[in-house]
Amino acid sequence: MSQNVVVIGGGPAGIEASRKLRDLGYTPILIEKEPVLGGHLARWDRLFPDGVEARAVLRPMLEDLDGIKYFTDTEIASINRLKDTWVVKLSNGLSAQVRAILLTTGFDLFKAEKKEEYGYGIYERVITNAELEDWFKSGAAPQFDKVHTIGFVHCVGSRDEKAGNRQCSKVCCVTAVKQACEFKEKYPDLTVYCFYMDLRMFGRKYEDLYLKAQKEHGVRFVRGRVSEVSEDIDGHLFVKAEDTLFGKPLKIKMDMLVLMCGMAPAASTPALARMMSLSAGEDGFFLPQSLVSSPCTSSREGVFFAGSATGPKTIPETLGEAANAALAIDRYLKTPEKA
Amino acid sequence: MGKIYDRLAQDYRIKEGLKACISCGTCTAICPAAEFYRYNPKKIVTIVQSRDDDAIVELLKSDVIWYCGECLSCVTRCPRKNAPGLVIMALRALSIELGYFAESEKGRQMLPLMHAMQRNVLNYGYCVYPKTFAYDKHPEYGTVGKWTQDNMEEVYERLGAHLGQVGPGALRKIPQESLDELKAIFDLTGATRWMEIVEEKSLEKAREMGLTMEEYEAQAFNQTSSCHLNPQE
Amino acid sequence: MIYQGKQKIWSEYQKEIPTDDWFYVRSCIRQSFFPASEKMFLEILRNRLGKNVYETPSHTTCGGIAYHSEAIPQETMMTIIARQFALMTEAGYENYVCSCITSFGLYTEVMEDWREFPELEAKIRENLWKATKREFKIPKYLAHASDLIYKFRNEIAEQAKFRLVNKATGEPLRVVEHIGCHYSKMFPSKGVGGAEYPYVLAGMVESWGGEVVDYPERRHCCGFGFRQYLVRANRGYSVSNTHKKFESMEPFKPDMIITNCPGCPYFLDRWQYVIAEQTGKTYGENGYGIPVFTYEEVAGLVLGYDPWDLGLQTHQVAVEPLLDKMGIPYHPEDKYKGLNGKELQRPEFPMNIKCC
Repeated sequence: MSQNVVVIGGGPAGIEASRKLRDLGYTPILIEKEPVLGGHLARWDRLFPDGVEARAVLRPMLEDLDGIKYFTDTEIASINRLKDTWVVKLSNGLSAQVRAILLTTGFDLFKAEKKEEYGYGIYERVITNAELEDWFKSGAAPQFDKVHTIGFVHCVGSRDEKAGNRQCSKVCCVTAVKQACEFKEKYPDLTVYCFYMDLRMFGRKYEDLYLKAQKEHGVRFVRGRVSEVSEDIDGHLFVKAEDTLFGKPLKIKMDMLVLMCGMAPAASTPALARMMSLSAGEDGFFLPQSLVSSPCTSSREGVFFAGSATGPKTIPETLGEAANAALAIDRYLKTPEKA
Repeated sequence: MGKIYDRLAQDYRIKEGLKACISCGTCTAICPAAEFYRYNPKKIVTIVQSRDDDAIVELLKSDVIWYCGECLSCVTRCPRKNAPGLVIMALRALSIELGYFAESEKGRQMLPLMHAMQRNVLNYGYCVYPKTFAYDKHPEYGTVGKWTQDNMEEVYERLGAHLGQVGPGALRKIPQESLDELKAIFDLTGATRWMEIVEEKSLEKAREMGLTMEEYEAQAFNQTSSCHLNPQE
Repeated sequence: MIYQGKQKIWSEYQKEIPTDDWFYVRSCIRQSFFPASEKMFLEILRNRLGKNVYETPSHTTCGGIAYHSEAIPQETMMTIIARQFALMTEAGYENYVCSCITSFGLYTEVMEDWREFPELEAKIRENLWKATKREFKIPKYLAHASDLIYKFRNEIAEQAKFRLVNKATGEPLRVVEHIGCHYSKMFPSKGVGGAEYPYVLAGMVESWGGEVVDYPERRHCCGFGFRQYLVRANRGYSVSNTHKKFESMEPFKPDMIITNCPGCPYFLDRWQYVIAEQTGKTYGENGYGIPVFTYEEVAGLVLGYDPWDLGLQTHQVAVEPLLDKMGIPYHPEDKYKGLNGKELQRPEFPMNIKCC
């Protein structure tokens, strides 16, 4: 009879790790609090850097769940240590006693309304990056009329002590550049601005995307963080930022603004950390054994991590960590139990 | 670090207001002074942050630190919890202490300003007082303002104030013991010393510029060059 | 504009404001330019609401304007503030209410500084003792006078004889609210509604029947700037900032402006006069400007007090169009009279803007 492993979080990290664990001969018990598997990836339209469709990445994963016991709409009720095992009780009444738990709880998107000066939830023409993906995916007609100029606001809820998130969310810059290109591909006559602090084009082909945005699409990059958004009498927006390279304050009229909300620690982190005596960093994400050499093991026996539960990550990094964690769990479970 | 920076860093407004700046520009974006003057709060914080004594001394002697209106709008927006407005206030205080204020046109305004403020506080116990708010120095007070000044006793009586009277009420005569206490506080905590510094340095500067004190003070109060303004684009 | 989004923010910035027993300190600028407003504040709290608000003649300026003009060092300002607190302690109070917004910001900042740097508090205590032989306790609650009127806005609405409604059309008046910068920009959590969408004045306007008008430069400073106004050479800064605000609010056609800061109503009023005389432009209809009020003036108007008891005759921009809109009766012939109907020489009238 194959050993059970509890995997908490049914996004790409959890699904991929479950598949690897199953291939290694274990029975993963995959718990997901939302009604569907897939995490945030299920929401996105197309992914950077090549524009591959998110569903094309997710579909083969979701079609390969044989041998994995998964529960959606289910949360963790409690986790307790019993000798060298973990007793996990679920909100559906079931419980499992396992030697290894994998935390793939991912991230929460920063709630844009907390950045009050941007007017999300007050000005209709201010939307989030996630809402823009929804709209791209739906293929619906534009929801606003008279749109000539749009702007992308980088670093919303990231690199921001006041918002409670000092960390950089890593992927928002390339996402903004991607979305700017996608907008221009749909509506070539639009003027598109990106208000950034530093353009983090760290990955392969990201710089190419940036070049394409500038050369092919004429996206205007302004190095200055947006300070304030206000609304005109006709519902259009004014954006105040400084063009720091020119050293001049700007006030630009916009017809739509997209807020690049960053990855914030998942809301479930403190409770889970308490249940298993795990530590979180000052930034609120789980702390692995080493951020360099053991990103998938924790300080507690039998508890492992994969994906953005330990900090903002891209999909390929997440899938890589999922495999890493599966192997680490395999080695741990094959190690003779301590007497 | 340099001696000037060390001295500046003693100011509580630097302890409060300078964490570390990432030059994001949110302060400059909504700064009223940045729109009007050749002023950039981000640049000032970057210079102070560099701890370069020579650059800081240059700031202390320049017009630039006197452009801020101390509205503190910058404090609301900074993502690193800095306060450029507070940094400016610390720079201004040091500029006065070291006498560097007299080297700039805007800095020389300290003489008429400090005279007006300190005299109001010590003589009357208020920062602003109708009997010293002369219409000819404030034509923007308007025609109704002039009427208020010309009919001061009657108008303030009509409005329910207690101009110069004993007891509680608006514009009351603040008891002499209270004014004496304010003087004692001024003497003990450095306000009197600041007045002495400003008068001494202004006198030196006036001599250097070939002006009488009256001419110097009037010039500081009334004149401004156009070099301070942001060119219109 | 999605109103519920604002309501959500307002609900997150609630402020505890005690209901009674206040130690009151006045504002230099308001005593000089709006003394009737301070009188109305006490009239409303003491006589209309039966509250205990105590004032000692020995209290002085907090030194805020002098401090922000660099006329006195920080240590002097803090010791003056400590003296004010000592007067409160000696009178047996722990709730402190101040009439000026700069004061409010300063008191808040000083108490935060003392909390973070106890050695600084100790030094100021020592200073105060050496200079005046007084000792002080830190207030338990600090509020601005507008916080109190905000707190009792519904009680005022109940006693009101007039509403912020255009009597002829039945429509709510369009009200621009202007919050003093030092109210919540430095410490958003200390202001009702926070820094981006403060509610202290919006709450009053809504309670009294008006409609709040948001416009792009709502949060922009009026441009007082302390030395930028007090020194004549710098006044271009001050008028430019106010000008920017008026250009921005013009398309929204507001009926009136309500403010909670001492300087702001003075500047928003006077600079309209200056802009009119220099450029010929006025922002109201037919050569009128947009009348600017303190919140006590508005409260007094809705409660039915005589406009000339409220000090509205000292405004440069005429208030009569608004009084007519609200259906408030008044005697134009009494506007520029002294106490007991004493005849005074009337003011000159400006060229380009109507003052009555």
